[in-house]
Amino acid sequence: MDSVLRAGAMYVALLVLFKIAGRRSLAELTTFDFILLLMIGEATQQALLGDDFSLTNSVIVIVTLVAIDVGLSLLKRRSRWMSRLIDGEPTIIVENGKLLHERRRRARLLEADVMEAARSSQGIEKLEEIKFAILERNGKISVIAQED
Amino acid sequence: MSDDRDHPELRSRSYPIREDMAYQLKVWRFERVGWYVLVLVVVLALVGLFSRGLISSREVRSDDGKIRVEYEMFHRNGSTNSMKVSVNATPDTAVELELAGQLLEGFSIETLQPEPLRSRSSTQGIRLWLQTDLDGQATLYITLRGDGLGFYRSQIFSPGTNGIKLVQFIFP
Repeated sequence: MDSVLRAGAMYVALLVLFKIAGRRSLAELTTFDFILLLMIGEATQQALLGDDFSLTNSVIVIVTLVAIDVGLSLLKRRSRWMSRLIDGEPTIIVENGKLLHERRRRARLLEADVMEAARSSQGIEKLEEIKFAILERNGKISVIAQED
Repeated sequence: MSDDRDHPELRSRSYPIREDMAYQLKVWRFERVGWYVLVLVVVLALVGLFSRGLISSREVRSDDGKIRVEYEMFHRNGSTNSMKVSVNATPDTAVELELAGQLLEGFSIETLQPEPLRSRSSTQGIRLWLQTDLDGQATLYITLRGDGLGFYRSQIFSPGTNGIKLVQFIFP
């Protein structure tokens, strides 16, 4: 019984933590983000398994995690409210070559982040060449270039 | 709040995506408040709310000063902490000490040092006999592993002295 509770509690705790961290936190994985992810995984492992390293326990934990994950995806499909709660919504950051500073500030983005996405995806050099930059639900910035 | 919505940059757009900025502002506010909560948790952990720290490590004495216990008020399930019990009695004799209450329900005793002269179960817990030194001091070092969850109230006493009441909490 406690394996299921452990896995469930850990799933919810991590879900809430990463909601607080925001969608950008692990979107563009830098070297350090990768290390951070490994350390979080390491810290989670103990709490998930406790002192029971049996095959049965690990299978129960994995089954619980996958079941919750599939269950949530089914819930998201049925309810728009749920989907919005878990995945969030995209946000426009640049509109017709103008950076929306108030939004950028609240989304904890830098102008450099937007320009980096513009360069890497569209080969854009200047902010004015961007028609729209949108902060997507997964934390990546998608860029639509101005048409000449 | 209404100021936020009046800000021209924070109004909802409908092209190229349909936005709900009122909702997005709530999400951002949640992230901000969440960050304060995370900092608070870190600070609380530093001062010892989750075991081992200023507010968790306690030292209590019985009213007559004969028993002194150093212990952790907050424990975590599965982790071990030490407890030190000192008794003051007649020099070079065996002194009786009883660990009673819920102590043995919430914790398992991993080590008990030095080994008592005798030990016996009692109606409330366990009774131990310790050898005092020439100054009349006897000290018992116990390693406790938290097995339960929640509050555990226990008493440590020696016959003829006022005992000590302990309240300990085990986190999941």
